[in-house]
Amino acid sequence: MFRKKKVVWLLLLPAFTGLFVFYIIPFFGGIYYSLTDGTFQNNFIGFGNYAKVWNNTMFQTGLKNTLILSVLCAPAIWIISFILADMLRVLDKHAKGFRNILLLPYLMPSAALILIWTILFDYGGVVNKMLVALGLDRVIWLRGAPLRVPIIILYMWKNIGFSVVIFTAAFQSVPISLYEFASLEGASPLYQEFKITLPLISPSAFLVFVMAWINAFKIFKEAYYIGGAYPDSMEIYTLQHFMNNHFAKINYQYVTTAAYSFAIIVFVLFALLYYMESRIRKGVN
Amino acid sequence: MPVSHKHPERHHYWTLGKLLCFSLLLLLSILTLLPLVLTFLYSFFPQSEIKAYLALRNNYNTEMWMDFLISPKQATVRQYYTILIDNPQYLKLFCNSVMYTVMILAGQALVVPLTSYCLTKFEFRGRDALFFVILALMLLPFQVTMTPTVITLRTLGLMDTIWAVILPMWFSPFYIFLLRQFMLAIPNDMFEAGMMDGCGPVRSYVHVMVPCCKPILCAAAALSFADCWNMVEQPLVYLANNTGLQPLSVMFNQLNAEGTEVAFAGAALYILPALLVYLYFQEDILLGVQLSELK
Repeated sequence: MFRKKKVVWLLLLPAFTGLFVFYIIPFFGGIYYSLTDGTFQNNFIGFGNYAKVWNNTMFQTGLKNTLILSVLCAPAIWIISFILADMLRVLDKHAKGFRNILLLPYLMPSAALILIWTILFDYGGVVNKMLVALGLDRVIWLRGAPLRVPIIILYMWKNIGFSVVIFTAAFQSVPISLYEFASLEGASPLYQEFKITLPLISPSAFLVFVMAWINAFKIFKEAYYIGGAYPDSMEIYTLQHFMNNHFAKINYQYVTTAAYSFAIIVFVLFALLYYMESRIRKGVN
Repeated sequence: MPVSHKHPERHHYWTLGKLLCFSLLLLLSILTLLPLVLTFLYSFFPQSEIKAYLALRNNYNTEMWMDFLISPKQATVRQYYTILIDNPQYLKLFCNSVMYTVMILAGQALVVPLTSYCLTKFEFRGRDALFFVILALMLLPFQVTMTPTVITLRTLGLMDTIWAVILPMWFSPFYIFLLRQFMLAIPNDMFEAGMMDGCGPVRSYVHVMVPCCKPILCAAAALSFADCWNMVEQPLVYLANNTGLQPLSVMFNQLNAEGTEVAFAGAALYILPALLVYLYFQEDILLGVQLSELK
């Protein structure tokens, strides 16, 4: 469209400065920190920090928990929001109210809800009461490994609505005539889902999955509200806890090393996902 | 020819499916709203009742249950009175949250749409590279992107000032991406027509692009509001030594620990602005996502 070079650089100046000053320059500058020892002479020690951080038990715990939480949350959000969006499509005109209610938690502050959440999941709480009513035993939700459950549910409660909205929007781009034709040919609804809906919305399906995964890496708030900066239950100690505690000590060597290690893991993961998605799309065509 | 009426079998099938979907969604909606409804309900309970109720927590007595409270012995707004007038410590943090949210949204309004505009309606060398950088920043988890930001904030001496929280948020890659995807769908013809009439890039932005983008701008504003109102990670690290500047989202738990009997009124007041923003912008969020090329 427009080609005026001076104008575009002028208009981009604020974003350019901001992105460079806050992200890009220090990102590369940080590599220097991760390769030096942080003493007065700042000796170059190669990958010594990486060895140290990777052997740090707190880093291992944090990374493990962050990965576990995200692996549990991302696919769950993807599948549940797909099913919900599908149910909304079935309801057609009556779906509007439900869709709006499902989106509502996305804007709610989790800090305000943590108290009611701990009441629901208390040892004597309503969740346990229902378990007992179903003939099961009470669970101590707010300690140890089961604490992951309330955190994951709170996280999903909050984040599922936005994925549902993206899926709903994507469904509208699929022509209805395709479904009508398929039903005339005798295709079952489930078959139609896999052979019509999924292939046609695969870009947004991929986007929802990636976004769900990136956001799931960020699960920290919920754990922080329940457990504080040093939670008693190590099962909810996330990578963010590790980073925060080393930021507080101004330990640049550790935080930069941990950050780049995690960046590499994430990039490998997304590269794999992207590769799989392109394979699936090719297979469809 | 009304073809669709000729399939009684299929019609019957969907009615059953519809009923099932309807009841499942109804149940889910009730569960979704439950925590919010309870918070508002409990905020009208007398403080003594709430205190007694919360004392039942973490009680590992197998004989005891912590049921819902259905109705107070006497409905009161005493909790609200306490946090608003008797002990305005809560209100101060609320104002901090408002300040951060307003400042961040104002900055984003200036920077983000303009950047997306440049990325979609201009041709210049390095455009794709710039977009790639933004995309990469968006895909990197927060733990990774916050590290360079902290290095810069310390170098500039902005740590423990309000700018540490505000400035980095102005260049949020996700919103640049969101707006770009919407702007891609706006036809170039509109700008070419403007150009014929002597409308330069800046005037096109103000008079063509911004009005066209109204739904996504509202959607982005609402989503960004939710981000700021919920912000925990950033202030926790950037304002580590300055608790007086912390927003409500960080300090809320501490306040709860100090005075549990007013916690529900605090929560209700904290939810209220988010609820209003949602009710006002919900259609825009839906429309914005629907029209942009997220799909």
